[in-house]
Amino acid sequence: MRAGTVEVLLADDNPADAELIMLSLGENLVGRIHHVHDGEEALDFLFCRASYAQRMADAPPRLIVLDIKLPKLSGLEVLQEIKRDPRTRAIPVVLLTSSRLEADVAGGYQLGANSYVQKPVQFDRFRQIVRQLGGYWLAVNEPAPFRAFNGPSR
Amino acid sequence: MAATIDRDLIMVTAALLPIAILLVEDNRGDVRLIQEMLSKPLAVPYTLEVANSLAAGLERIRRGGIDVLLLDLGLPDSTGVNTFASVHASTPALPIIVLTGFGDQSVALKVMQQGAQDYLIKGQVDGDLIWRTIRYALERQRGRRELILSETRVRHLNESLERRVADRTAELAAANRELETFTYSVSHDLRAPLRQIDGFSRILVEHAGTGLDSKSLHYLRRIQEGTQHMGRLVDDLLGLAQLGRQDVHTRPTPLDGIVKDALTELRPGCADRIIQWTVGKLPTVDCDPGLMKIVFTNLLSNAIKYTRPRELASIEVACVANNGRSTIVIRDNGVGFNMKYADKLFGVFQRLHRADQFEGSGVGLATVQRIIHKHGGEIWAEAEPDHGATFYFTLAQGGDHAAPDPA
Repeated sequence: MRAGTVEVLLADDNPADAELIMLSLGENLVGRIHHVHDGEEALDFLFCRASYAQRMADAPPRLIVLDIKLPKLSGLEVLQEIKRDPRTRAIPVVLLTSSRLEADVAGGYQLGANSYVQKPVQFDRFRQIVRQLGGYWLAVNEPAPFRAFNGPSR
Repeated sequence: MAATIDRDLIMVTAALLPIAILLVEDNRGDVRLIQEMLSKPLAVPYTLEVANSLAAGLERIRRGGIDVLLLDLGLPDSTGVNTFASVHASTPALPIIVLTGFGDQSVALKVMQQGAQDYLIKGQVDGDLIWRTIRYALERQRGRRELILSETRVRHLNESLERRVADRTAELAAANRELETFTYSVSHDLRAPLRQIDGFSRILVEHAGTGLDSKSLHYLRRIQEGTQHMGRLVDDLLGLAQLGRQDVHTRPTPLDGIVKDALTELRPGCADRIIQWTVGKLPTVDCDPGLMKIVFTNLLSNAIKYTRPRELASIEVACVANNGRSTIVIRDNGVGFNMKYADKLFGVFQRLHRADQFEGSGVGLATVQRIIHKHGGEIWAEAEPDHGATFYFTLAQGGDHAAPDPA
């Protein structure tokens, strides 16, 4: 892990939820979670556009945590863009949302979500789940090698 | 007998305007004879017009105002059945009495089949007969017209009723959908702030460590209890709302297995209790297994909850056959309730017990009832304060696959 690089991109428009997620992910990740507040900002960050034009495009986050109900572009629209573009397709995306609507779950998986998790109301359970997510995707899961981000090899 | 009917008919017709008779006849002698016959017997008001050809007759009919037609079939411009057919085709509602010569009964029969009201054989007619024939023809015609009219009215009524029912059904469905969407989104949006209250109050406890005195910790615990309770309410409400949107997928389901599943789920929660379970033989019925599990989980967890004060709780699940229809019975020896409040039992957020004695959201039995109704069944309960409660439910008629022997 390179110090200072973003490990987790968190897109959640609710600051309190975002804070709870960041607290739950744990102290050791502080400073390496980047929080964006809407769908457009999430894509700007990933594709180094607009206010993120200076960001290094060769440092993709290791995990994207997306809420579905996001301003401007919904989490599902963001997901669609991520999975359509070879530069971002290999980044694992976890949909972490309040919605249990079948349409959202089915839509999420159809668009290529790597995981779909409903936010529990009880904080103990919520914290446990978020920790498991962080532990699995950042510690257990083998990250995609660099060339996985340049589309299918020929 | 015939005379009585005649008098009635005369009274009916006399109350109306003069009867407008059109005679289509080219034979002057026959015209005169009929004129005489008509004028003879009674003072029935009438007018008589004569046309001496089919064309003239049709023209007169076209102008309107004719009540009944006396039609000779042998006319200069048309003969036989054709004469009748052309008049009848142009004015199907006008009663037509056909005049035929002696020996032309076969023609008479044909025109009767084609819709003539009656026929008269020239030379065998007198005043009484011609009038009787006219009046019968008019009455039949009026009856038929009224029948058609009332049929039309009934049809219109039916159509408008059907339209209204369809409209109201659509409105109701839309309102239901809206309400469910509303409940669903409210339930969702209520979750986030709850999680935050619960989350930050816990983090506060952890963060403050020993810096909080016991009073402060007590208040924080109250906050957490409140959020947890509301969390349950929201979850249950969400379940209820989802139920409304959900279709019932029935398939033959052994209820034994459903009860076993429900108990497996519930047993860890009452490991510290002494409960005597009696589960009888249950039938296989057509139902949605997922929904039926919700039914049993709710009813059994209620039984567990309300027997909590009992040192030895007793919970029984059985099935009794009632006219070939299975009734599922769930009986406990718990605290029961007053039947006075039985009508509140299945209402959303209705509770019959204090929250500090028996926790609950007041959504469980509403959910159960909705599932049972969705299956075309009924649910009811019997109880007595401090003497246990018994819940009964049935599923749709004919849903039984193997009803147990009546025992």
